[in-house]
Amino acid sequence: MSIRILKIINYLLLILIVISVLVPFFWMLSTALKSENEALMSPPQLLPATPHFENFVLALTVAPFLRYFLNTLIVSVSVVLLSTIVTVLASFAFARLEFRGKNALFFIVLASMMIPQEMLIITNFMTVAKLGWMNSYQALILPYCVNAFNIFLLRQTILQIPEDLYTAARIDGLGNFRYLRKVVLPIAKPTILTTMLLSLIWIWNTYAWPNLITTNDDLRMISNGLKYAFTQTSGFVRYELQMAAATLVTVPLIIIFVCLRKYIFAGMSKAGLKG
Amino acid sequence: MARLRLKNPRRFDNTAYLYLLPAFLLLAVFTIYPLVNTILTSAKLDYRFLTGAYVRVSLRHYADIMADATFLRAVFNTAFIAFVCVPLSMLSALVTALLLNSIKKLRGFFTTLYYLPQVTNVIAAGMVFAFLFNSNFGLVNTMLGWIGIDPVAWISGVNIAKSAALYNQAYLRCLFVLLVYSLWSGLSMKVVLFLGGLQNINPQYYQVAQIDGTSRWRVLRKITLPLLSPTTIYVFITSVITAFKAYSAVVALFGNTYGPIGDNSKMMITIVGYIIDALGDYLSAGAISIASAAAVILLLIIMGLTALQLKLSQKWVHYK
Repeated sequence: MSIRILKIINYLLLILIVISVLVPFFWMLSTALKSENEALMSPPQLLPATPHFENFVLALTVAPFLRYFLNTLIVSVSVVLLSTIVTVLASFAFARLEFRGKNALFFIVLASMMIPQEMLIITNFMTVAKLGWMNSYQALILPYCVNAFNIFLLRQTILQIPEDLYTAARIDGLGNFRYLRKVVLPIAKPTILTTMLLSLIWIWNTYAWPNLITTNDDLRMISNGLKYAFTQTSGFVRYELQMAAATLVTVPLIIIFVCLRKYIFAGMSKAGLKG
Repeated sequence: MARLRLKNPRRFDNTAYLYLLPAFLLLAVFTIYPLVNTILTSAKLDYRFLTGAYVRVSLRHYADIMADATFLRAVFNTAFIAFVCVPLSMLSALVTALLLNSIKKLRGFFTTLYYLPQVTNVIAAGMVFAFLFNSNFGLVNTMLGWIGIDPVAWISGVNIAKSAALYNQAYLRCLFVLLVYSLWSGLSMKVVLFLGGLQNINPQYYQVAQIDGTSRWRVLRKITLPLLSPTTIYVFITSVITAFKAYSAVVALFGNTYGPIGDNSKMMITIVGYIIDALGDYLSAGAISIASAAAVILLLIIMGLTALQLKLSQKWVHYK
């Protein structure tokens, strides 16, 4: 039947799209496993004759990548923890508490979503330089600790918790903070995890800001380290090592994503609602 | 004040400010102050970073930027990403989402694979694409070879200084590489959003259409696309806003000089690249003013687009 054929075509097209999405990953991995001679063959071979896994170890010696990983880990864990605290507190206040100026303050949060980070970089750079924070962790961490979008997302979630629960808790003499800990946190956990993951992806990819404020190899993050490790040596590039390093940088986030993807997709559909 | 308190069923809770303190402290230092300061700095003629001195208040830096060929190039390249790459990537994402929406088995599996570019480090991805398009060792030329096409020097600045025609050809090839990269990296988010939009459409519309025996094409044109339009507008505007902030990918693809080796015109520079280049020169007088003025222009563009989105989404709200 023609319906059957349509279905097959449908799947074939989807597979074709999968292939085109995966081609760069294939080329990255295949090159990462090639020998130096194979990487410089023209025309290139699709696959290495034997996989050279030692490239991954060699790539780590081109630049202090372990140091970059450690820095990225320090920055992302700090940002995720601090920004989660900031987000939870603020979104709880906006969702549940009554106070003067609430609408005006919430408007400021919403409006700040619109301001491109790329604009703020200029003054933040001057602030950091004047504070003597160039090449410091706090300069890498603090500007990322407030995320208006996450506050917005979590506020939406907390608003969906029935208000009766809050009233009942207040009657029982439960303070705001204990209510937040005992009731809101357990219920909002999936959304909090979503905001954490979004922050993590953001930090993992961040390039422009760390590039401005770190000149010291000891404080570089992976994106910047990756960029610099392979551009300072002019002309001659060890492509197999470059691709091995790119693989090392790419894989951790992909593993985290594959394990926790349902939280990312859940957050995405919530975010889509405001459209 | 007292009247306000009476009107409100619940007492005002001053502890709220404590909850908001961390967020607003950070916002004040890293968002609100920089916003105001950047606008002010953009109007200070020849502002000096070290002393804070400037000649006078003037909008001359705006005029300078508008007359700067590099800035116009940056605007053109950014507009190319926003108004060529984004629509094409939306089209491919829409087709992908429609295909995904008409299957049940393996939908989650496919969606996960399509999402991979989104979680790939931008710099790593840019490097891989630069190598894919490498003239000698890249996979793209190999694949072209399979169908009998000679190797193309995709990202190459050889001989571009010799004539405008050669320069433009090199430029077009770089734009093509950027387009392919954008299609790949832009697919993830758009597929997820479009799929969400498609699944929000009330299935009754389709049931009615099926009873009437409406053709698939007509269903797509008369039901699916109109009902999907709020999502389409949302995806378009947010993607265009993201496109206006393009920077890291261009640096990863074309290097810190925003162009192939041999090019000294910053061929592929973007608006954010222009801001960051000006900022990199921060010790010379006026550099920060120029960066600020370019940033204010970027802000105005993004505010305009956000306003447009609000307006359009109100217009389409009756469909929901």
